[in-house]
Amino acid sequence: MSRSVVISGLGVISAAGQDVPAFWDSLKSGRSAIRPMQPAVDGVKITTAAQLQDYQPEEHFSAEDLSLLDRYAQMAVIAAREAVADAGLAKDDAALAGAAAIVGSGCCAKNTDEDTCIQLYQKERKRVHPLTIPKGMPSAAASMVSYHLGIKGPAFVLSSACSSGSHAIIQGMSMISSGMADVAVVGATDAPFTFGLLKSWDALRVVSADTCRPFSKDRSGLILGEGAAMLVLESREHAEQRGATIYAELAGCGMSSDAGHITRPDVEGISTAMTQAMQQAGIAAGELDYINAHGTGTQLNDATETQAIQRVLGEHAENVAISSTKAIHGHALGASSALELVATALTMKHGIIPPTVNYSEADEECPLDYVPNSAREQTVDTAISNSFAFGGLNAVIALKKIK
Amino acid sequence: MSFEKIVDIIVDTVHCKPEDVKPESELAALGVGSLEAITVIFELEEAFDIEIPNEVIPSIVTVNDILTRLEEARQ
Repeated sequence: MSRSVVISGLGVISAAGQDVPAFWDSLKSGRSAIRPMQPAVDGVKITTAAQLQDYQPEEHFSAEDLSLLDRYAQMAVIAAREAVADAGLAKDDAALAGAAAIVGSGCCAKNTDEDTCIQLYQKERKRVHPLTIPKGMPSAAASMVSYHLGIKGPAFVLSSACSSGSHAIIQGMSMISSGMADVAVVGATDAPFTFGLLKSWDALRVVSADTCRPFSKDRSGLILGEGAAMLVLESREHAEQRGATIYAELAGCGMSSDAGHITRPDVEGISTAMTQAMQQAGIAAGELDYINAHGTGTQLNDATETQAIQRVLGEHAENVAISSTKAIHGHALGASSALELVATALTMKHGIIPPTVNYSEADEECPLDYVPNSAREQTVDTAISNSFAFGGLNAVIALKKIK
Repeated sequence: MSFEKIVDIIVDTVHCKPEDVKPESELAALGVGSLEAITVIFELEEAFDIEIPNEVIPSIVTVNDILTRLEEARQ
């Protein structure tokens, strides 16, 4: 059994916008959400980030609900609610009762973990909050999405660092394609602004001192972000039967592992995943309109990704529009690939390619068309979204417009 | 004293032979890749109570470059 899978709902909460319309407005306007850290954190070199502005959890949840919701789970639920509503579904609908809920996260409930450690080890409290386990368990986001939307099919969290979102979406796609489910609410969330994680990113020396400049010669590293993006996937048949609005077909996926260096991206591994996704989708090199790149803004990632694009597309590499939206929404780690698939679906819907902002200087190692600084009106019928994680875990998703 | 400490840090990080670590030795040839480099720099910062900024890391190619950067950081 192999069924066509489509995207029928989108939901986002991000520094670049706390719902899909606001997120899309930032993308098409090329408006970066990278700002000075608020509040600034003593003892941390990272000074800029893409953080939610004026986010008030109480506007979304009751005090009782919040006692069980780590920040990463809050954002997953908020994005899932929007995606489900966008798909024309509602809590406890029959379509949701049998649905899957699969949430990716790189960091999971680190806020709760670190708060607990501070209470125990720094403040030397004798007791912890009785809900620490259910709030802080890595799987909490899937449980909370299930609970808040009445989803009663398979639900779990998976973690593959910066590919978490793509892996979660591919898992949902596989379940629907195989007939295990008709509907899946999938995506990813990450809330990485804890003291311990900031110190750890400092130590790895890959975060830029000022901003993110993907593919630009003067790029100096990534900028951390936070947020969540969730999508409603369903079989094409199911979507058409109920008259759902379809954004695009999830036409192909590719997954590979480098089995090599723990942080350095690998042309071979990336190329394998890209090729798999395009082959499964039936997209030839010359037919690919757009690549939403991983494009972190590190010297190594952007040059290596460019080499992989050249290897996979050959002479067509120069003709494809490529952009990294990370300079707009930041690198929200596990959530990034889900945010970027939403960005890709919106690109196809609106026929506007969001730009790679902060691009200032051409690099001989990155000689392709990165749609620098200004959005471009262009019909996009085929696209791929690239995601590559520390640990050498690559995931690529191919979308095709349904005509 | 500084040189001996640097040798200790490199040997502890990449498990090369101490006699192979000479001022003119290239770090890459000793097995210091990108991850080992940030580990060596972390240990240097700890041992000498200094801070080595990210921007200078690409200019550190040989053991001698470490000694130079160390002197700069101490000034």
